[in-house]
Amino acid sequence: MPSTFTQAMATLGAAAEFPNTYVAQWKQRTGGKAIGLFPMNFPAELAHAAGVLPVIIQEDREPITAGRNLLGEFNCGYTRNLADQAALGRLDVYDGFFQADHCIQLLGAVDVVREDEPDKPVYFGQLMSSMGDEWTFPQVLEKMNDFRVELEKFTGRAVSDDDIANSIEIFDENRRLMRSIFDQRRHGDAALAPDQIQVLVKSSMIMDKQEHTELLREVMAEHGPVPRDDRIRVHLSGHFCHAPNPELLKVIEDSGAIVVDDDLFHGTRYVSTDVGSTDDPMAALASVYLRRNSAVPCPTRVQHDVDWDRFLVDSVIASGAQGVIVLMAKFCEPHMLFYPELRKALEARSIPLLLIETEHEGLPLESIRTRVEALVERIRRKQLTTV
Amino acid sequence: MSAPTLANSNKLVIPTATNMVGDYWDNLFTAKERGKQVVWYNGSAVNPFFQAAGLEWCHGEAFSARLAAQQLEKPAQLAGEEYGYIGELCSYARTHLGCAVLTKQARSEDETGIVGLVDQQELASRLPAPDFFVNAYAGCSTGQQWDEISYRVFGKQVPIFNVSLPFLPGNKPDAGYLSGEEWDQASGYVADQLYKLVEFLETMTGRPFDWDALRQNMSYIKRASELRREAMALCRAAPTPATYWDWIASIAHINFMPAGPELVQYFTDVKAEVQRRLDNSTAGVRNERYRLYFDGIMNWNKLGWLSRKFADADVAVVCGRYTHNAFWQEPHLIDTEDPILGMAQHYLLCPTNHGVKTLKYLTNRDCVDYGIDGIVFHASRTCRAFTNPQHLLAKSAQKELGIPSMFFEGDVADASFYKDEILESRLAAMLEGIDVRRSRI
Ligand code: SF4
Ligand code: SF4
Repeated sequence: MPSTFTQAMATLGAAAEFPNTYVAQWKQRTGGKAIGLFPMNFPAELAHAAGVLPVIIQEDREPITAGRNLLGEFNCGYTRNLADQAALGRLDVYDGFFQADHCIQLLGAVDVVREDEPDKPVYFGQLMSSMGDEWTFPQVLEKMNDFRVELEKFTGRAVSDDDIANSIEIFDENRRLMRSIFDQRRHGDAALAPDQIQVLVKSSMIMDKQEHTELLREVMAEHGPVPRDDRIRVHLSGHFCHAPNPELLKVIEDSGAIVVDDDLFHGTRYVSTDVGSTDDPMAALASVYLRRNSAVPCPTRVQHDVDWDRFLVDSVIASGAQGVIVLMAKFCEPHMLFYPELRKALEARSIPLLLIETEHEGLPLESIRTRVEALVERIRRKQLTTV
Repeated sequence: MSAPTLANSNKLVIPTATNMVGDYWDNLFTAKERGKQVVWYNGSAVNPFFQAAGLEWCHGEAFSARLAAQQLEKPAQLAGEEYGYIGELCSYARTHLGCAVLTKQARSEDETGIVGLVDQQELASRLPAPDFFVNAYAGCSTGQQWDEISYRVFGKQVPIFNVSLPFLPGNKPDAGYLSGEEWDQASGYVADQLYKLVEFLETMTGRPFDWDALRQNMSYIKRASELRREAMALCRAAPTPATYWDWIASIAHINFMPAGPELVQYFTDVKAEVQRRLDNSTAGVRNERYRLYFDGIMNWNKLGWLSRKFADADVAVVCGRYTHNAFWQEPHLIDTEDPILGMAQHYLLCPTNHGVKTLKYLTNRDCVDYGIDGIVFHASRTCRAFTNPQHLLAKSAQKELGIPSMFFEGDVADASFYKDEILESRLAAMLEGIDVRRSRI
């Protein structure tokens, strides 16, 4: 008989692997509507408060076919895959689409969705990405209010402040639990492999939050802490919008490395910051947008006084990671722009670094294995010489 | 693959033209010697503010484009590569960030007395280091992030001001070109920020801002723009007296040259020359048989090559998104007494700042107005902002107007992405298709 842990992981894994099936079943079960969200900053709490299921659309595993003729081959894999999903009807399960981020490649993909789902609302409320201006906060608050109004129009029902506060608490609880898993990993627990952690995060982006929280509790209750072995400790950095390929994560751990921390969107970044209890939930949602970027800086934002490079070095020191593997979605412009700053900061601290570019299809896993093994070897030798 | 000839292209020559653009750059290179403050900026044409504030200005894309057009971009790109920039990054940003690295090195070499490579010196030391940055990038997120990185390359010691320009997605049912609630709200929001920009400039210069000078600047720009639009409209005639390449040749003028009587004179002369050609039946392409629309940002490395290439195939490229739907293209929006709102609106009207609904409207409108037979899409490898909507635009033109299109690959400032054989074979195929279609009518 499978353990509760195994059963819960299987349920979460199914949602992560087949989001559309989960969404269709949820709609059937509840009679509710589901909206597709584009990463990375839409306030899903508001949608939850409006009674709809907010789902962050995931990159799927299908090869890109029709999407090839909709966006350039030099767009990131996530946006090309989105275009493909839209063109081939794989987004039909959603009743509407909402977006808050203005990455230029994502805007292109959303235009394709708009074109292919002409009868459904596609709403873009641009959350300002220049974070430090005196008008940033009022602007962000205004956008949050726009989202609320649009969601009210979409569902045909008013959303009260109490509804929003309630949803915030539900989301915060889920984040707290997930964070505790990340904390444990940082402090020496090797119980969950990176691909399993990714299942937890991905499913949290898809499922009804309370349902997810229950399953998460089961996962946590059943797995006892497992002490780390002597594999080389690495930090995974980068990879926005979509999850790194699980086979790639396996290759990293099979090559003699163990992941102890990350700043991935499908990881620490997603759960980094709570909204907190408040009398003014709209202001709280606006403020968390800003606070999240201070907690885990993101190069898609412009904030002069926070540094992703400094954050990375501090994280590495805090977790005791011995090296950094940068996972860069090929063609991801914000990441390409910031990468030299990371490289400089890590080199200054003599922290070994490996850059792996990822693609939607055709990932050269064997050559990646060789490169990760070389990194591991380099770190081992460094260890020996410093002993 | 064949090299283009000079036989069929008939470039617009303005007999009275001076070397405005060359003089501008030479002037900029000596800014520091003359004790002037220098601002580096990207994106929208906020230069009239700088001019009114008594500053010298360097537009990042313009400098990268200039280097590429002169085939001088390599040293900057190599410096960028060495610093860690990947070759798939926007080649404007990559070139300019490479310049930033070199400029910074040159500055420290000045201090240390170490002399760098000659070609690096050539590029880097000539570009004066910024006293501050202003970013006002519409549409493309890369533009905004690029300046943030420049700020970091200079050790976060050079002040920076960001104007946030919202994208115009066309969410609401009333959203349209120059109309709807989305347009009104965004216009007001940006106008408010421009007042803040003025305050920032006052702080940077230590002088009160000269509002009269701004009004004056904008009256010159408005007039220049009207003349440019009128001259463009004359090219609805077939054969066209001037081509897209001629409009490309005057982009620098309308985009970042100082506002003044010379600017107005330049476009007066352009219009007069286009009119003269029209009156004399002088064509921009000697044997015009096809009229095409060009969509995409310019491939600066290949400017002359492309103009001759199309002309060799009897193609007049008549208009395009980059020339006709950008650069102060709606002069009626400018109130010269109170220019801020109209300026804000132009910054929002960047052709990469619209959702595809508006872009379809603009492209199809111009295709009808200019009697276009087909569209050529420059799939510029590292500029996703321009390439994003191209496939949807191609489908729309085919569906709405029955106009075919072709794609060719290249880039704004990186010659390695250009594939001549692809352009040649696809162009031949499209022109054949146009012939077949004509024979059926
Ligand atoms: S941030 Fe990167 S991964 Fe996300 S849509 Fe933009 S380019 Fe793609
Ligand atoms: S990608 Fe294109 S629009 Fe964006 S910054 Fe580069 S050249 Fe400008």
